[in-house]
Amino acid sequence: MLRRTLLLGLCRGPLGRGLGTHRGGSILDRDGKMSEIKKKIQSILPGGDWNPLYDTSHLPPESSDVVIVGGGVLGLSVAYWLKKLEKPRGAIRVLVVERDHTYSRASTVLSVGGIRQQFSVPENVQLSLFSIDFLRNINEYLAVADDPPLDIQFNPSGYLLLASEKGAAIMENNVKEGAKVCLMSPEQLRNKFPWINTEGVALASYGMEHEGWFDPWCLLQGLRRKVQSMGVLFCRGEVTRFMSSSNLMKTASGEEVNLKRIHEVHVKIDQSLEYQPVECAIVINAAGAWSGQVAELAGIGKGPPGTLQGTKLPVELRKRYVYLWHCPQGPGLETPFVIDPSGTYFRREGLGHNYLGGCSPTEEEEPDPGNLEVDHDFFQDRVWPPLAQRVPAFETLKVRSAWAGYYDYNTFDQNGVVGPHPLVINMYFATGFSGHGLQQAPAVGRAVAEMVLEGHFQTINLSSFLFSRFYSGEKVQEHNII
Amino acid sequence: MLKIIVPTAMLMPMTWLSKPNMIWINSTTYSLLISLISLPYLNQLGDNSLNLSLLFFSDSLSAPLLVLTTWLLPLMLMASQSHLSKETLSRKKLYITMLIILQLLLIMTFTATELIMFYILFEATLIPTLIIITRWGNQTERLNAGLYFLFYTLMGSLPLLVALLYIQNTTGTLNFLVIQYWAKPISATWSNIFLWLACMMAFMVKMPLYGLHLWLPKAHVEAPIAGSMVLAAVLLKLGGYGMMRITILLNPATNQMAYPFMMLSLWGMVMTSSICLRQTDLKSLIAYSSVSHMALVIVAVLIQTPWSYMGATALMIAHGLTSSMLFCLANSNYERVHSRTMILARGLQTILPLMAAWWLLASLANLALPPTINLIGELFVVVASFSWSNMTIVLMGTNIIITALYTLYMLTTTQRGKYTHHIKNINPSFTRENALMALHLLPLLLLSLNPKIVLG
Repeated sequence: MLRRTLLLGLCRGPLGRGLGTHRGGSILDRDGKMSEIKKKIQSILPGGDWNPLYDTSHLPPESSDVVIVGGGVLGLSVAYWLKKLEKPRGAIRVLVVERDHTYSRASTVLSVGGIRQQFSVPENVQLSLFSIDFLRNINEYLAVADDPPLDIQFNPSGYLLLASEKGAAIMENNVKEGAKVCLMSPEQLRNKFPWINTEGVALASYGMEHEGWFDPWCLLQGLRRKVQSMGVLFCRGEVTRFMSSSNLMKTASGEEVNLKRIHEVHVKIDQSLEYQPVECAIVINAAGAWSGQVAELAGIGKGPPGTLQGTKLPVELRKRYVYLWHCPQGPGLETPFVIDPSGTYFRREGLGHNYLGGCSPTEEEEPDPGNLEVDHDFFQDRVWPPLAQRVPAFETLKVRSAWAGYYDYNTFDQNGVVGPHPLVINMYFATGFSGHGLQQAPAVGRAVAEMVLEGHFQTINLSSFLFSRFYSGEKVQEHNII
Repeated sequence: MLKIIVPTAMLMPMTWLSKPNMIWINSTTYSLLISLISLPYLNQLGDNSLNLSLLFFSDSLSAPLLVLTTWLLPLMLMASQSHLSKETLSRKKLYITMLIILQLLLIMTFTATELIMFYILFEATLIPTLIIITRWGNQTERLNAGLYFLFYTLMGSLPLLVALLYIQNTTGTLNFLVIQYWAKPISATWSNIFLWLACMMAFMVKMPLYGLHLWLPKAHVEAPIAGSMVLAAVLLKLGGYGMMRITILLNPATNQMAYPFMMLSLWGMVMTSSICLRQTDLKSLIAYSSVSHMALVIVAVLIQTPWSYMGATALMIAHGLTSSMLFCLANSNYERVHSRTMILARGLQTILPLMAAWWLLASLANLALPPTINLIGELFVVVASFSWSNMTIVLMGTNIIITALYTLYMLTTTQRGKYTHHIKNINPSFTRENALMALHLLPLLLLSLNPKIVLG
């Protein structure tokens, strides 16, 4: 005691320099213990949830009203609209479970980022129209106090779909209400875009307004930021199990069905065996390319084939390559997103004569979706020749880089699945958009939120996109799929 | 009195020694029988109290509360069966034991003669309740809720101990029957003000008074169903009962001292009712409505007229049954949908019509529909406070309107409208649940035929 006071009095060194100057930390906090103690006291004080046995801050909460499996643009969009459309503010607790917080394999950020309204299915057009309105006014929708506004770098350069003789008739029929599209003959095409070789092109449709491309990463971050400010909880983990309870019920026609409801979701934490059972009322499957696996966890598809119980969610991983090349003599700033009749596509990237492009492989040459390795021979064999034929300037180009991403490919009809499952009644889908999910994400999010909160679609009627079409066999065939 | 206390204590060995498939049946039936034994106490003879022994007595104030407590135990056991079904056998038995201990302490509290014994038992009831909330509650926040609950009540009641000992020293006795005649009138000197505060704060926290009510929504939302039921129905009434007993010692200082608390209660009544209108969590809504009803009781007790005491007792019994029933209904919802948010489970009337009938009756009772005793209680309190001061009628009237508003809001949100898609396959109402609701409602409706027994 005496010694300590003597030391304090005589030892002027640290006190002489003043508190707080000892290597950037307070003199009392030399071991870092003070801040730990402070943190512990803060967690004990009323206002925080404190488990006396061990630290649970990395675990998701024990219960949540809605659990969204998958934190990509579709999952975040559903979370955003759920929070935006709920009647009393702050009523619903939403948890977004995302396995990969760097989004390294998520389809959202590996996407080429285009948005168009040139679809043959009217619902697709309406979805894209709302989404472009959302993107145009993104800073009104996603504004967060004290944060800088978003710049999604929307290039409104439009889409140019080229059709050969065979496809010309279909293309003419496909111009749907709401889309501002201009049909051009080869002559007009050559006048407008002199760099195009119009050999084999019978008709071209050029989107005049609301079409182009944008930065998907910015949209994702904007949504993430806004959704966190609205009170949605994020969890970095993987959904490994659904605990459900079933009830045998009779339909109106007397046949017996087994309706299941999921009452608990087991979320496994990354790189650990720990898992947390989250009690939930509603589960939303927005897991993108892996939605099929998540659906199987819920027991969808376990039954004799040909019945509703045995109908699986037909969403699979499909790998697609995107190549970035440089061509100094290439087309200029007015280049739209060009889609060749052969399926090859490209668009301008930036202002330095760089172009992004690729091609959808046919069924036979589907690459193995096990990893995201890029096959450069694919470019040489399948992408370059049609490109060079269509745009002669592309005969000399130099590939700068390439990457691969997954499509959440709907093997049934390549259009999205939205809405509840008829048998697992509290699982809603927002997946399967096969390459055009990013451009329709805001609108799909709103539709799913309406379905959850109201029970029916209010603004855009997506009843043709429900799960039951896989059982009844009604395909919503889209003719303009890239 | 022993004929109630010893059987209740014996329920514990019976639970531990029962066969596994008989624990619920045994405990429920025997606790029902015990409640039937306590019914004769309602037959009070005039103004005197029924003195049963040196330690226990019952008069027309404590008898209805005693019957309510004993009636509630079988109901709590029935309500807890479903959420405990997944626990191990010894956990179930432990839970039932906790409930029985709580019941025992409550019975002794309501019939205690000595104020010190009342105090000790009053504090002792905190322990089983804390164990029930923190061990079997629903979420991680329950630890927080338990802390709030424990420390709010303890902080409030520590001065009470000091005050009681002081009164024992000065007056020579704390036996309730004797002290009625020996209490000296105390004027509003500073030391007497502190004495008054010390005596009343514990009960104010327990009631709860509007400024000290933070523990209630937390505790109710996080507690399991039996915990919520006993909290709402009985533990809050401990505060009211204690206040009524102790104000006898504190005249006439009460005339001046009561003002701030009256203001807080009157204002708090309207405030908590308004908060109910904005609640999204069903249990939280019912918890805030408890605060609102109890504020009426505080006003009644502080006015200290015969009519207001009658209104307060009737209101306590009525609110106990109604609140407990609403919590059971909310729990039946929660067990099916696994979420307490009101807007996620709508349109239940088309799916569970009988449960909708119970919802309707409980809501009507909650908004004080004539001729239920809820109305009698509220009416007596409103009339008494009007005679105390004309202006209170404005606040009371506003409260009645807002109570009706939020009760109907709760009813229409959960029952009416189109049902949401994801609740299509919920289990139909179990007989146990229907019996639970009926047993809650039956005393309530029967009492409207003969309210004299609860009017104290």
